[in-house]
Amino acid sequence: MLADRSFRTLLSREVLRFTRIWVQTIVPPLLTSLLYLVVFGVALGTRIQEVNGVPYLEYILPGVALMSLITGSHMNSSWSVFDAKRERYIDEVLISPMSDLQIALAYSLGGTLRGLIMGAGVLVVGIPFVGVTVEHPGLLLLIGVLSSFTFASLGTMVGAMANRVDQISFLTNVVVQPLAFLGGVFYSVEMLPGALRTATLFDPIFYMVDAARYATLETSDLNPYPTLGIVLLLAVLAFTGAWWAMNRGPNLRY
Amino acid sequence: MMSEPVSALKVEKLRKTYSNGLVALDGVSLEVAAGRFFGLLGPNGAGKTSLINSVVSLARPDSGSVEVFGKDAHREFREARRMIGVSPQEINLDKFLTVEEVLTYHAGYYGVEKKKAKERAEELLERFELVGKRKQRVSTLSGGMKRRVLFARALMHDPKLLFLDEPTAGVDVELRYKLWEYIRELNHAGLTILLTTHYLEEAEELCEEIALINDGQIAAQDTNAGLKERYAAESIEEVYLKVMGRVAGG
Repeated sequence: MLADRSFRTLLSREVLRFTRIWVQTIVPPLLTSLLYLVVFGVALGTRIQEVNGVPYLEYILPGVALMSLITGSHMNSSWSVFDAKRERYIDEVLISPMSDLQIALAYSLGGTLRGLIMGAGVLVVGIPFVGVTVEHPGLLLLIGVLSSFTFASLGTMVGAMANRVDQISFLTNVVVQPLAFLGGVFYSVEMLPGALRTATLFDPIFYMVDAARYATLETSDLNPYPTLGIVLLLAVLAFTGAWWAMNRGPNLRY
Repeated sequence: MMSEPVSALKVEKLRKTYSNGLVALDGVSLEVAAGRFFGLLGPNGAGKTSLINSVVSLARPDSGSVEVFGKDAHREFREARRMIGVSPQEINLDKFLTVEEVLTYHAGYYGVEKKKAKERAEELLERFELVGKRKQRVSTLSGGMKRRVLFARALMHDPKLLFLDEPTAGVDVELRYKLWEYIRELNHAGLTILLTTHYLEEAEELCEEIALINDGQIAAQDTNAGLKERYAAESIEEVYLKVMGRVAGG
């Protein structure tokens, strides 16, 4: 019932949307991530020898891939839902036989796929460039899926709640980007002073980056398995928010 | 013994207040018999679109009930919504899709299987003279063309009840007549139609039964001929003016 033809059609529409505008949705973010690797990894990396016994370029690769994934996933669903709402073609979906749960899930999974493509893109180019082997590919995939789903759901929620374009860019520029930069992509929390270290523990992206780093390099600040539980909880919370917003968001069903 | 025929639409004591306090529907009750060509007329802001939106659950009524062919629009929303087609007043086509995709994706949202959707799209593309535009993105079409796509889209899943909310607004005369002809044909084939329009001659020409709505209430309802007789009027326009004048005059 949940994954019926109606749901599958909306999901395939979501995939069609981002593949149709791939020059805008896939190429620029991929390029940005590769620039991070070049600028931070190669240029600065010659000055920073190792972090936790791992060469700097290797150390930042999982986090850069995850940053790309998170950017892709939340932007995809927030813009897709907001655009559909602004131009009212979301009405076609809202009056169809789909439930709000199915609608929220289709938009969120569309964003999840886009995020996974972005993250995988960075790894496909980055792994040969950096020269690492992924230690736990299954775990990395799991972390990737959960992180992507969490941020895609957050995007769905904000897209459904937003009334103005700037609320969408607020999510990207004021919430997600700073959290990503402070989430330990470029450094280990061990390197931070006490207060900042504690603050980092409130950054959800920190847990995702840390677990992804463990899955790739077998080095991390925290034990990866309880971390996985936290990421799972975040995914559930974010999707509950998306579902609620699809049902109660302003100017959806009034 | 014959059982009582099920109404295509049965609305009872529907009330809808918007968050700004505006009462859009003030206890509307309305019944549309299956197969009927029904007109809903009234001035701007009378509650026509609010009524349609309440049936398809775009609006959340405060109270009252809605049944579509005996299915509760709230509790049995999947069954109810599957039977309804809507051609909305405002053009709302998915800008990322081509004309043909708008039709096939719509069918998919309603659970129509792919092969059937393709056949139906073919039929409607031809019917609305859209074959040459099928691969074109809808955002690049002219207003009249968009209106045709909107109309074809509403029919893609073979609804039993069709809502046409101002379908001929901004449409040239030629297309308007073509649409009329096609709507009539659909109605003769058994489709129940609820039309809202500002063109009173359009309602007079097409509708068998008409309800006049004002300030969220049904002010009068009867067959086309019945209304004219009751208000000693020559045309629906005259009925309209009399009813609305009476309402306005208190």
